[in-house]
Amino acid sequence: MQGVLGAFHELDTTVAVIKELKQKKLGDVTVYSPTIRHEIDDAIDAPVSVVRRFTLVGGLLGVSFGYWIAIWSSTYWPLVTGGKAIASWIPYTIIGFEVMVLVGALSTVAGMFINSRIPRLHTTTGYDARFSGAYFGVFIACSPDKAPQAEEMLRRHGAQEVRREH
Amino acid sequence: MAINPAPGMGVRGPNIASADVQLPAVRDYEQVDREISATLGFTKKWFLGLAIAVFFMLVGASAWTYQIYWGLGQAGYEPPVMWGVYIITFVFWVGIGHAGTLISAILYLFRAGFRTSIYRAAEAMTVFAVMTAGLFPIIHIGRPWKFFWLIPYPNWRLLWPNFKSPLVWDVFAISTYLTISTTFLFIGLIPDIAVLRDKETNPTRKRILGILSLGWRNSDREWRHFAKAYLFLAAFSTPLVLSVHSVVSFDFAMALTPGWHASIFPPYFVAGAIFSGFAMVWTIVIPMRKWFKLEHYITLNHLDATAKVVLFTSMVVGCAYMIEFFVAWYSGIRAEQEFFWNRVFGQWYWAAWIMLLCNMVLPMSLWSQKLRRNPTWLFILSIFINLGMWYERFVIVVPSLSHEFEPWQWGSYTPSWIDMSFLVGSFGWFFMWFLLFVKQLPVMAIAELKEIIAPRAKYAHAHHGVDTAGHHGAYDPHTPGEHD
Repeated sequence: MQGVLGAFHELDTTVAVIKELKQKKLGDVTVYSPTIRHEIDDAIDAPVSVVRRFTLVGGLLGVSFGYWIAIWSSTYWPLVTGGKAIASWIPYTIIGFEVMVLVGALSTVAGMFINSRIPRLHTTTGYDARFSGAYFGVFIACSPDKAPQAEEMLRRHGAQEVRREH
Repeated sequence: MAINPAPGMGVRGPNIASADVQLPAVRDYEQVDREISATLGFTKKWFLGLAIAVFFMLVGASAWTYQIYWGLGQAGYEPPVMWGVYIITFVFWVGIGHAGTLISAILYLFRAGFRTSIYRAAEAMTVFAVMTAGLFPIIHIGRPWKFFWLIPYPNWRLLWPNFKSPLVWDVFAISTYLTISTTFLFIGLIPDIAVLRDKETNPTRKRILGILSLGWRNSDREWRHFAKAYLFLAAFSTPLVLSVHSVVSFDFAMALTPGWHASIFPPYFVAGAIFSGFAMVWTIVIPMRKWFKLEHYITLNHLDATAKVVLFTSMVVGCAYMIEFFVAWYSGIRAEQEFFWNRVFGQWYWAAWIMLLCNMVLPMSLWSQKLRRNPTWLFILSIFINLGMWYERFVIVVPSLSHEFEPWQWGSYTPSWIDMSFLVGSFGWFFMWFLLFVKQLPVMAIAELKEIIAPRAKYAHAHHGVDTAGHHGAYDPHTPGEHD
């Protein structure tokens, strides 16, 4: 992917350039930040993460499996103890709950990995090691004809460094 | 916020809300990276600590080898007391783990600011404590190579575990807890491992860190999904942590044994677990903040906030102790009344009084703000609480089994050297893992620390919608308690 990368040391200039880039629509914008900042989220205005759907589906599958394995194995080898029910839903709620948490949480992690596109084996275009430290990065995926305009915008907003990525 | 002492009163520290605990001595992101990364350097003291931990771990491992060779009879079990140090220590370590999840998950949902500096250490503590706890039921079954029989899996004999048994609930609860705690710890670590990766100059280590960080790049897409996943993991961990010690308490409460068959056990166990876990957090964090020179990250305000949690949970636990006696008296059941009388004045009176002193009396010192903000006292108190909480489990397990309904069943119990070697070995095992952790991975959450300190801004936040004070609004850096 080709485009232009700007490294910023300040949060407010990063936010300002994101807002202008969104208006000008020069290309897809990726923002790098050493930590979560709600100001960046607000400026990007990205849709709500779909990880929650993985959580819901995983949780429902987990609770169903937890109840099912307990009920099925009890009826598969029915052993009446003290006249109690063979499939007893009250103790099986514990199994259902634990498996719901297990599968739901692991599905959440899977959802995060899939949507974040990790694990990633190679360093991708537009990343700089400073972005995990103290710098914010703004990468605009754009064609070479729009690159000068993007560079000018990044510099005007106070980027410490601007470079083209191929 | 400035503190104005009332006329005639001495100067007091701020009685701040826990959400307002901040880090005024931490100025910028570079400082966080530099100071937290600096904790990873090896030192002679660390090697000495690791050598001691490994030695004690080997003591436990030797005892296990001996027990496997000679059989479970080498443990101090003597009918009718067939649960002893192994189950006591199992419950103790499961309890220790709970504070880590409380700090990392429950306090995250409650937006308690004081968790940020301590949650990573507490989370690691949880994982290692549950790893330690999980060994004890396996040791206790005598033939550890058969432990997988507890796991439901298709087999040629068509046998399945009894899902109505609290011991099988334990297997599900503890294994889920270990899996989720480890996952939660690792997910939180990913951005911090990326920080180490990007600063690393050694190519081999950089490659290892690159694999562990999963190619994390700090992009807005990654952070968005990370934040949501972290929230849901916290939301799952919160009821999980409450369920785990409730399930552990069912091991006792589902039996008809005097002193065990009580509906108060789940909340009583959960409160006790949080209480003991916070004490272990102090045992770990107070020396750590001194040795790693992190006093400006784990400030007196942080310790004060944790002390309030300990004080509260101590009162909950104390209340549960008293209610147990009340219920025994109010039930009118002779065996229960005799048992509880025996608990404090009978054969095991000394254990009960150690428990009451350490868990109910000494923590009352935390009503004093001066003591809440005294790291030395908190460390000493943490040792007493750890001791008291181990004895609480001793008081639950041994007197009940040795003093059941029929007098002819009554017996005694003396732990053997094998039992005590396992106990010592468990501490060695736990601290070995923790010491290895603190020198390989950041002991504080670098990304979250950056979240609560002011970001650099060019135009001093005017009209740019940037909150330069971090999450918690304006703050006076001269607030007492931010420095020792």
